[in-house]
Amino acid sequence: MSDIDPTTSSDQRVLGFVEGTPPVGDRKIPREEDSVMVWPHLLVRHAVVALAVIVFVLLLALFFNAPLREMANPTVTPNPEKAPWYFAALQELLFRFHPLVAGVLVPGAIIVGLVALPFIDRNPDTRQRNRKVAVATFTIFMVVWILLTVIGFAFRGPNWGWVWPWLEWYGEL
Amino acid sequence: MSLMDSIRKSAVGRSIWRTPKRVTDRDRAAAHWGNFFLHIYPVKMRREQISFKWSWFLGVASMVLYGSLVASGVYLMFFYVPSPTTAYGDIIFLQTNVAFGQYIRNIHRWSAHLMVVAVAAHMAKMFYRGAYKPPREFNWLIGVVLLILTLLLSFTGYLLPWDQLAYWAITVGTSMTEFVPVIGDTVRAMLIGGTEVGAQTLLRFYVLHVAVLPSLLIGLIMIHLWRWRKDSMLEVDVEVGNE
Amino acid sequence: MAGAAVWTSWDFLQPVAGQAGGPVATVTPDAVPSETVLEIPSMRGYLTEAEGEIVSLRWKCPHLGCKVPWCESSGQFECPCHGSVFNRVGEYRRGPAARGMDRYEYEIVDGIIVPDTSKIIRGAPVGTLETINEPPKGPECLEATSE
Repeated sequence: MSDIDPTTSSDQRVLGFVEGTPPVGDRKIPREEDSVMVWPHLLVRHAVVALAVIVFVLLLALFFNAPLREMANPTVTPNPEKAPWYFAALQELLFRFHPLVAGVLVPGAIIVGLVALPFIDRNPDTRQRNRKVAVATFTIFMVVWILLTVIGFAFRGPNWGWVWPWLEWYGEL
Repeated sequence: MSLMDSIRKSAVGRSIWRTPKRVTDRDRAAAHWGNFFLHIYPVKMRREQISFKWSWFLGVASMVLYGSLVASGVYLMFFYVPSPTTAYGDIIFLQTNVAFGQYIRNIHRWSAHLMVVAVAAHMAKMFYRGAYKPPREFNWLIGVVLLILTLLLSFTGYLLPWDQLAYWAITVGTSMTEFVPVIGDTVRAMLIGGTEVGAQTLLRFYVLHVAVLPSLLIGLIMIHLWRWRKDSMLEVDVEVGNE
Repeated sequence: MAGAAVWTSWDFLQPVAGQAGGPVATVTPDAVPSETVLEIPSMRGYLTEAEGEIVSLRWKCPHLGCKVPWCESSGQFECPCHGSVFNRVGEYRRGPAARGMDRYEYEIVDGIIVPDTSKIIRGAPVGTLETINEPPKGPECLEATSE
């Protein structure tokens, strides 16, 4: 606004200034030296990431074949019976708790918790040192969930018994 | 004058590109306003926001994997009939008799697993950055729905090869819904179209997998990106700290 | 309008009749054993007899739907998926299942047992006493392979 003098720039006059934030919110314009043009700086990065991901998938597909077992047979249940890996944590819970708890309440609580998160955590600060409770809670949840997933995926064998994955492998992708 | 320049200057070129060659910042900005695929991007961003450290580019990776899944999935659809009598044979045929059949199936399978990982990691990264805080609560919510849709897409696709792995994973997975109080049995019957996983289940999962869920996903991604464009550019001061 | 749309789709997507099972002709009552069980793949279940009554069991585990195999050596049903165990007439013994195995309603038509796989009687919940007195008679199939 420095190049325009608001008191003389048009046929309107300024009668006074009111303290407070503008209706659009506290919006600050980044300093010129802190900002970059999206084209090419961001687009080049996105293109590199896209190519890297594609190359990774193409190589993965070259060296590992997608699994295919025998044709579906309703009269024989394989032993062990494993869900896809992203449900391995749930399956591990189902082994330990009543299905209403492990199959309904826990996933339900996770979804409700994630959806409600912005409305539960009203602390506007985004710096991690100022939101220790939120970060700690989420980290504990993540660690437990990943641990359960790994156990369910790799450490379970026939009859859902414990196996050591380096001795016997039953994971299915 | 380069070849590209002469193409741009031709009658056809001028009809395609709405903006001049990107020389000045103003040209570059005009490229965003004038290009359908780029208009979602802002013209300028904070330097921090485009660094690897900021986002790990997990959102972009998820999008690329989704593109890979659509491309390979369409290819697979040409060789697949969703019926218990044909499905398994189609997969065998695809793997043994179709050019690059096995390879495309591998791409589809690994892209699917990687997309689940990428979307989940994207969500975790956004949590640690506090990106669900005002004004972006709604975009976080859409993100949660996108994660669920990704899991459902992967899960419905898991049944389609109709092998032992598929059949029993879906039997076990859908049995969980029976424990939802009151409506559990009805929901499961709706989902699998009967009391046991069978022909109706395969057809329903196929329709969900190739039509319903991908459309929902792409629609929500559009809203997700639009809200990113609208809401996330305001975050800079909050996240960098109020200097 | 949204309600109407949801209701119509819900109604249209109900499982088609016939997909949800129906009557299956099996065997004559004399062929049903009372010491062991008879597996009938066409009805996805087992037939057995206890105190003169035919028991028509569904083979689906009430926990998460795996097929529960009969273990001849112990004389009980043992599910390999999560280790639920049921006695010969499908009553709950142990494991993560929340009820006993389901049964089908059946009729005897022209001397043949005809269970109806669309008519399912839920198993008794955990805590219900067993109606037959048949403790495991030998080593369990589960333990033979686990650990």
